[in-house]
Amino acid sequence: MLDLLNIAKPFADMDTPVDAETERAVCRWLYAEARFLDAERYQDWLEGFIDPEIHYWMPDMETRRRDDPRGTFSYGEAAYFDDNLPELTIRVKRYNEPSAWADNPATRHAHLISNIEVNATDDPSLLAVCSAFTNVRNRNEADQDIIHGRREDVLRKVEGGFRLLRRRVFIVQNVLLSKNLNTFF
Amino acid sequence: MCEGGCKGAAKGRPDMKPVYPRAASYPQYAGLVDRKNAQVDRQVFVSDAVYQAELQQIFARAWLFLAHESQIPNPGDFIRTSMGEDDVIVVRQRDKSVKAFLNSCPHRGNRVCMVDAGTKARGFICNYHGWSFGIDGALRGTDGKVYEKDQSFEKAQIGLTPVAQIDSYKGLIFATFDPDAPSLAEYLGPFTWYMDIMLDNDPEGTEFVGGAIKSEIDCNWKFPAENFVGDILHAFWTHQSGAQAILGGGVDLGSRYDELAFQASVYGHGIETNLDKVGNTRTLGYPELVDYVFDLSEKAKDRLGELRARAIGAVSSCTVFPNFSFLPGQNTFRVWHPRGPGKIELVVWTLVNKSAPEHIKEQYRKGVMMTFSPGGVFEMDDGENWEYSTRVNQGFVTRQQPLHYALGLESADLERDLPGHVHKGSLNDANQRLFYTRWAEFMEYDNWTDLQSGETAPPQKKAVEAAE
Repeated sequence: MLDLLNIAKPFADMDTPVDAETERAVCRWLYAEARFLDAERYQDWLEGFIDPEIHYWMPDMETRRRDDPRGTFSYGEAAYFDDNLPELTIRVKRYNEPSAWADNPATRHAHLISNIEVNATDDPSLLAVCSAFTNVRNRNEADQDIIHGRREDVLRKVEGGFRLLRRRVFIVQNVLLSKNLNTFF
Repeated sequence: MCEGGCKGAAKGRPDMKPVYPRAASYPQYAGLVDRKNAQVDRQVFVSDAVYQAELQQIFARAWLFLAHESQIPNPGDFIRTSMGEDDVIVVRQRDKSVKAFLNSCPHRGNRVCMVDAGTKARGFICNYHGWSFGIDGALRGTDGKVYEKDQSFEKAQIGLTPVAQIDSYKGLIFATFDPDAPSLAEYLGPFTWYMDIMLDNDPEGTEFVGGAIKSEIDCNWKFPAENFVGDILHAFWTHQSGAQAILGGGVDLGSRYDELAFQASVYGHGIETNLDKVGNTRTLGYPELVDYVFDLSEKAKDRLGELRARAIGAVSSCTVFPNFSFLPGQNTFRVWHPRGPGKIELVVWTLVNKSAPEHIKEQYRKGVMMTFSPGGVFEMDDGENWEYSTRVNQGFVTRQQPLHYALGLESADLERDLPGHVHKGSLNDANQRLFYTRWAEFMEYDNWTDLQSGETAPPQKKAVEAAE
């Protein structure tokens, strides 16, 4: 397996930026994805943005000493998401149930995406994309949850656009300051 | 400050012996649980005064869950956790025993351990003035040895405050701040017979896999604790969407198990189970896990007997009083740490049998993530219920209204020969009533003789021996 697709591995140096046109296309794709997630169009998100071979991982963060070899997170340990397509599909199925009470009344979402860097990889069909996000949820009268973090995505070029093949999501919180995660990142 | 002549301290030197708080008696709070009408006064969920009494009466006295032995296998391995709101470090010693201390320097009180966990630590050093402590909690030295030159300083007398008692039950480490508390075995009583469903269904024992996930929920700690002690009723409604997503159908207890289902309670600890073998395990979404539990159940009959072997993966839930809960079959273990009357920090772990094949352990880790972690399809819908059950009581008039805990008042099962107070059927408030009765006992009694012989104490019967 390409190192690039090894979920446990960070990207190598991001020193192979793509041309402006490709970068623009990736930005447009990322913003469109955010818009779909804002609108809770989860089934469309699965069908339009997600590669069938997706690996979507969001590890749990721990506070560790700098010299601790385990580090802040470690693949194979606790995670909020460690999903393939069938697992993402189960989550989406729940949202689509009328009895998904934590989503009825609806949550108001805002996915803000920034710090986008797009790099070429050894595989011409794959792009390495870094971004930062602010994920805002507000529901009922005044329940608000804001989560900040970074993402490391591998996008596969397909006809007419891209598909998300690998996503690593790193949030900055250790104790999750939210009662749940009724959102995607 | 002691002016000298204190017990154990040389003249002129401050006595630094641990101070373990004394319990009092709060009959006015005990009275908030109305046994006769099966009602609970909502003050127990919102009052600051009641909450402070809980920290004193319950969290400073009860045996509280700290860690699984497997989390700290080697000398110097440690985790940081809480007992009530008290920050605690749990450390494996060189002789393989486990010690636990308050995470607070006796000098100015700063935390001496800032991280969640670590391995092979040689000690803990306070960032403020450099006081350093061994893994046994003893003061080893101070920065620049300024103190060591001072006549009033006696290193041997100073250390991190240890818990009053620490012990483990089949891999689970518990501690108490009360030197007078009975042994852990006595505190758990015959409830261990039910805990063994998870802890002793295999000769090689258990371990935690994959670390802990922590999250905050703005609810009173008793709502989740009572939910796990015996509220399977909520699953039909709250978790309909999660069950649809994973199983393709609503929550189904399987009516053919109605005759088998029961609730049992000992000293406020409680289990409800449907004895349907794999109902909980099935919700993790991996057919191989269901096969594994069917096999395990068959093999475990010799160790546990037929009834408990049926419970390993069944629709079921447990709370060990006050705030340690788990789900057999789904294998999520968790503590609801109180953080004020209206907030908890939830810590969740996944328990597996040590002997389980690696891919089975991996499926438990992922299955618990998919169901009972903050993004899991079941846990997703719990938090808001508990938050609003707590928050609405800001309403002055609202909080005067009693809450109804009267399901199954006539359901005591006097025939079934099982440990504890047994009630028929799992759809029942019986365990929750006994949970709050235990809560009231802790509020009322300032001594363990009364605490261990109240209404929640296991009824005297031949159950335990007969069931073995």
